Amino acid sequence: MTARVVVAGIGNDFRRDDGAGPAVARLVAASTGAEDIGPIAEPLDLVGRWEAATLAVLVDATRSDAPAGTVCLVDLGDADHQSNTSTHAIGLDRVVRLAQALGSAPNRVVVVGVEGLDFSDGTGLSPPVRDAVPLAARRIADLITETA
Amino acid sequence: MTPSGATTNRKIDVHGLARVEGEGSLHVAIRDGALERVELEIFEPPRFFEAFLRGRGFEEPPDITARICGICPVAYQMSACAALEDACGVEVGERIGKLRRLLYCGEWIQSHALHIYLLHAPDFFGCRDAVELAALDAAAVERGLRLKKTGNHLMETVGGRAIHPVNVRLGGFYRAPTREEVTALVEPLRRARDESLETVAWVAGFAFPEIEAPYRFVALSHPDHYAIETGRIVSSDGIDATAAEFAELAVEEHVERSTALQSRIEGRGPYLTGPLARYALNHSKLPAIARDAAAAAGLGPVCNNPFRSVIVRAVELLFACDEALRLATEYEPPEPPAATVVPRAGTGAGATEAPRGMLLQRYELEADGTIHAARIMPPTAQNQLTIESDVRRVVELGLELSDAELTARCELAIRNHDPCISCAAHFLDVSIDRS
Repeated sequence: MTARVVVAGIGNDFRRDDGAGPAVARLVAASTGAEDIGPIAEPLDLVGRWEAATLAVLVDATRSDAPAGTVCLVDLGDADHQSNTSTHAIGLDRVVRLAQALGSAPNRVVVVGVEGLDFSDGTGLSPPVRDAVPLAARRIADLITETA
Repeated sequence: MTPSGATTNRKIDVHGLARVEGEGSLHVAIRDGALERVELEIFEPPRFFEAFLRGRGFEEPPDITARICGICPVAYQMSACAALEDACGVEVGERIGKLRRLLYCGEWIQSHALHIYLLHAPDFFGCRDAVELAALDAAAVERGLRLKKTGNHLMETVGGRAIHPVNVRLGGFYRAPTREEVTALVEPLRRARDESLETVAWVAGFAFPEIEAPYRFVALSHPDHYAIETGRIVSSDGIDATAAEFAELAVEEHVERSTALQSRIEGRGPYLTGPLARYALNHSKLPAIARDAAAAAGLGPVCNNPFRSVIVRAVELLFACDEALRLATEYEPPEPPAATVVPRAGTGAGATEAPRGMLLQRYELEADGTIHAARIMPPTAQNQLTIESDVRRVVELGLELSDAELTARCELAIRNHDPCISCAAHFLDVSIDRS
């Protein structure tokens, strides 16, 4: 049986570097054959889209003190990531646990972050983020190879 | 073990109420076996939206106020449009009105499904959250998720995206969806209507504390339909007012423990908006499918038991699916998609029904459309005093319960009203003091 790998970019192409997630997801889908299940408006959207996946990769822009273009990977199986449940949103960790309870969670969920620089209105990534897109895609391709 | 019982002094603190939006806490003090004090403390930082709006253009509030809330942005957009169109003397055409109502149904479906299945139902099963509920009843949680997805789909089709829609503008919409796009919603809505009927039957089987409250209900009411986006503001004690008139009747007060203003009606007192109020004041306007389902679930035309609000919310979910199905089936794209709105000096007010209660906005405009003053009355601020009264009643009737049981009952009493503290912060965390 062929392993199902899904990727989803989170972000808004019209807020410059916030579009890093969708840009990486598109490149991964085109270069590896992984299924792009985005766009994702909120984590609950994932339930119903990632069933039977061996690997689900979620790519988002990050904003921290890291240099722009820094790529980071967080394996949701590695740590106890806690988020609150509110009337507005259910965090990704809870969605993974909910999907597990429903028997529909992917075997592995990895979040890939690309540190952004410019989140202003408009299209197009800043140079360091544009350069980071193929790097992030390669790291995801390696993950896919490792999972297969 | 924490001492309990009606004859002791107890203090119950909930520092961080779960499954509500925002940051707040509840403090309950019991002295010599009698309730001394209930305080709902809302400490989420003030958000200053009314101040942000001053000096902005009259076309901006639908987008700016939508950002107050991620679950009821349409309510903010629709109330802003109603208020500003009132200020500018504009009435939109029937097709735009129907498209607004269709979009609003999407928000009701999304919000009610989320609250019923993922936030409120776990309480009735003794579960900490939806994850535990899913382990007990996966089929129910999956049904809830499908319902929510249908609401999202509707929001995306009409509003451009499921959260913070981008297609709403003063006077109507930037682009009317095509007939084909809306027709694609018909089958999902038909399934959602069937599943919302199942939802009413499901929640009707929950065990409810037998507590009734003498609510003063306030809701929009319309002669022709179950009011969502238009109507006059009526109350169970005889108020019949426009939004502008109601804004004068409602007094908002600041208390030190809360960053949310507390509302009461001048000379009358606290009141309740939301599903219980809408249902009581507009029961006869519900379509037969919803009235029949309510009756089969054991509801009369008025429900004063706040714990049964989950049934009322399920009836409204059914209504919203049925109404959206009707609107999608009959859809004719408005042409043009928006009415022209020309600014003028003046004041306007508008109120619509957010899933969790009535939301009123009022604006004062200068002649060129610059906003001179803005007032936003979110449902949770309006309901805050009544929620405190509910908790007081629950504690008085539950003094024999252990602290853990009483805390759970208090939290449920708050969640009954699906409060949005972030909207109100202008909230949750419970403390019971019996010391």
